[in-house]
Amino acid sequence: MAGLELQHIEKTFGRTRVLHDVSFEVSDGKFFVLLGPSGCGKSTLLRIIAGLEPQTRGSVSFGGQCVDDVPPSDRDIAMVFQHYALYPHLTVKENLAFGLKMRREPKSVIEARIAETAALLEIYDLLDRKPKELSGGQQQRVAMGRAIVRKPKLFLFDEPLSNLDARLRASMRVELKKLHRRLGTTMVYVTHDQSEAMTLGHAVVVMNRGRIQQIGRPEQIYHEPANPFVAGFIGNPPMNLFEGSYRLDQRQLEFLMGDLTFRFPFQAHERIGAGTGTATLGVRPEDVTFEPEGPGHVASTGTIDLVENLGNDSIVHIMVKGQSLMARTSFGFRQHAGESITIYVKNFHLFINDNRIPLPSL
Amino acid sequence: MMHRPILLGGILLAVLGSLCPFLWFVLTSFKSQIQVEAIPPTWWPDGSLVFYASALFEHRLLHYVRNSVTVAGSATVIALIAATPAAYALARLRLPGKTWILGGLLCVAMFPPIVIAGPVWQILERLGGLNTHWGLVLPYVSLTLPLAVWILTTFFHELPIELEEAARIDGCTTWQALYKIMLPLAAPGLFTAAILTFIYAWNEFFFALLILTDPERQTLPVGIALFQGEFIMPWGEIAAASVIATLPLIILVLLFQRGIINGLSAGAVKK
Repeated sequence: MAGLELQHIEKTFGRTRVLHDVSFEVSDGKFFVLLGPSGCGKSTLLRIIAGLEPQTRGSVSFGGQCVDDVPPSDRDIAMVFQHYALYPHLTVKENLAFGLKMRREPKSVIEARIAETAALLEIYDLLDRKPKELSGGQQQRVAMGRAIVRKPKLFLFDEPLSNLDARLRASMRVELKKLHRRLGTTMVYVTHDQSEAMTLGHAVVVMNRGRIQQIGRPEQIYHEPANPFVAGFIGNPPMNLFEGSYRLDQRQLEFLMGDLTFRFPFQAHERIGAGTGTATLGVRPEDVTFEPEGPGHVASTGTIDLVENLGNDSIVHIMVKGQSLMARTSFGFRQHAGESITIYVKNFHLFINDNRIPLPSL
Repeated sequence: MMHRPILLGGILLAVLGSLCPFLWFVLTSFKSQIQVEAIPPTWWPDGSLVFYASALFEHRLLHYVRNSVTVAGSATVIALIAATPAAYALARLRLPGKTWILGGLLCVAMFPPIVIAGPVWQILERLGGLNTHWGLVLPYVSLTLPLAVWILTTFFHELPIELEEAARIDGCTTWQALYKIMLPLAAPGLFTAAILTFIYAWNEFFFALLILTDPERQTLPVGIALFQGEFIMPWGEIAAASVIATLPLIILVLLFQRGIINGLSAGAVKK
């Protein structure tokens, strides 16, 4: 059942407004990710959904029912906290049982659910231990178990993997995805880690400074970023962004930066009329190549500044006409710093007035 | 390296300085009447238990112990019951003027008790609280509350709020979250507050003397002070009684020390 809907949520702390008119809908059973840099309001939003924090304005509904006046205990949700928040004076088993006991489930049900959850998360051996006797990864599993065992309508995750080391984080990510497929329950997941967002989410909300920047499928957000913020935030290494100006006439759109000019076949339309103004041009490091791959690719020459070897690929920093640019090559890049190089760009992103202007593919 | 001997000397001096009177009392309590009055004084007692017997049976020391346990015990329990929700609210709620409340509590705690002696006596007289145990418990509670609230506020403040939120999501009301999750974790704070309150009430002399004139109800410090007659000063008995009066405190502190030191909240949150 539990689809989630947020309507015009606003939140102010004292005089600071941390959320501005946030609205979105999560359909039942989806994995929904709130992504953004720290301080963007994503955790506050999650806490509002949980009922731990009252919103200043707007409303939250579960499955079409407004829950604004429902306390967290009655929202039938489970939350996994960043720092796990396991009850330190209770054993793992008691931690798992706590929520069920509070809901006065019969003992047999509690036992069965704990057994089921412990098997699912492979924490059977830990049941009699106290949280402080567990490793970080084990604590994480128990925290997850405490949420699963309740069989809630909605799972909320507040950066649950951020305290784990890189390797464990990667494996937990996979497990989490499997878990979601298995349980089929709606999940809302807060993270600042774009790779978590991209791999886990059916849909991703990118937030910055308390505002939604873009909502979309992971690939949509990657390929068609709505504005320069999203373009620069998603992707590793980040998209190369260049500030410049544009000139649009009947036949073509020009992007001007210093003595560089890029021309795109383009028709003026209602969103931007003919004229000039400031603009941002974006190039993904993956879209920079050293061999021409198509006829329309824009070519230029530059000097290699630095080569970062990452094993199976390399990040090449290149100075092109006074501008620094990053390129990502798949493998076998043999050139060194100081050498000159010809680059080809196979795809551009253009933003005018902070909005994406769809360009025809080259 | 130069600091070490100086530090050690300082520590030794402090420990000896504060222990000396106690040592003297303990030694005295095991002396005989002749040794107590000997001039020059003798250091080592001959291990007589005469004074203990006299304090316990002639001066009915146990009866004072019972009174003290009643008064100090009730004062502690009541102070904690009142301080816990107050401290919890001060630590967790966004109250306007919270710092003023805490500051005010601290100011009140600084007042010399004699300032309120007159009013307390008058109030108790009106309420019929003179010469009753509850009449003594009442001022003890109000005098120890500020300290208890401060200690507990600090403890609640340090407990991660996520734990409480987890409890609320797990189905607890605010009160349930308090006594099922927060209180067990604040146990070290509770122990500390309890011990300090208990020690205060156990040792308090001035109000006890003021409010309890009936020997049947008097507490240990008053009882022991009134050992002396018009012409005699029974040093030995007083020493023995003082040792007996101190023992429960030492035992309590030793027992609860573990509870205080054991950081029960370890493992709650990944640091």
